[in-house]
Amino acid sequence: MKRLLDFKQSSHLDPALTEPATRTLNADKLIGRWLNTNTTTKGVAEITIKQDGDQFYVNVSGVGSEGPIAWPTARAEVLANLEEEAGQRAVAFAATFEFGFMTAETYLRVNKGVLVIVLFNTFHDDSGRSNYVTREFFYRG
Amino acid sequence: MQFAQICDQVEINAASAGTIDHAGLIGTWVNSNPNTTGIARMVVEEINGELSVRTLAIGTTGLIDWGSSEITVYGSSPSSDAAAGFACRYDFGFAETLLQGMLLKGLMVLAQLHRFKDDSDRVPFFVREYYALEHGRF
Repeated sequence: MKRLLDFKQSSHLDPALTEPATRTLNADKLIGRWLNTNTTTKGVAEITIKQDGDQFYVNVSGVGSEGPIAWPTARAEVLANLEEEAGQRAVAFAATFEFGFMTAETYLRVNKGVLVIVLFNTFHDDSGRSNYVTREFFYRG
Repeated sequence: MQFAQICDQVEINAASAGTIDHAGLIGTWVNSNPNTTGIARMVVEEINGELSVRTLAIGTTGLIDWGSSEITVYGSSPSSDAAAGFACRYDFGFAETLLQGMLLKGLMVLAQLHRFKDDSDRVPFFVREYYALEHGRF
């Protein structure tokens, strides 16, 4: 008997979400070292994505005033990316970096060979800084 | 001032600290894709000083009203005083959805991160769609 699934939009019922092929989507396109395409960025200089078994980890170097700033390593959550890249289903990663004074939530995906990250930065200190969002592009290093 | 990247180091005007003008977010945002199977429309409104989004998604027999969710507003930099995006979460019990919107050239680029909490064996998934603000000018 077919089970009725809860949903809040039609795409929650997309058969691809339970297909074995979706569960084993290849994340190879994201793994490796990525360098910011913008040589004068004041944000993220480089990103390294590593796989350990079935877990993925994201290391980020931020641009500092006296050299790179290593962010705490974040575990990446793998999400099926229902957009297609070159006719193939892909994956996207979500990762959260906790700094205490700030949380940076990001999603990462590859589009035509470029790693695109969008960072939502939320401040928890009383510095008066505005929460802010940025988007940056990276090429394979 | 602590920072994780040099752009976090900014001088803050104490008078306007942390204040972001969210006028650019308010209104009805309509999906550019008439064949979407996701979110059709979002209505961002301010009620009693609180900013929220009401989301309407495509169902099997019509629109599904997700109800309203309080949003966090983001600028384009730590010293920004104009909205450049927002984020909010919906918890449906069987699933959670994180919405992260970013304004780009008048479009709202909306990332949706869906995570299922039931035993349906559905994988978490990511979708990005584009929304235009209904402005009634043309």
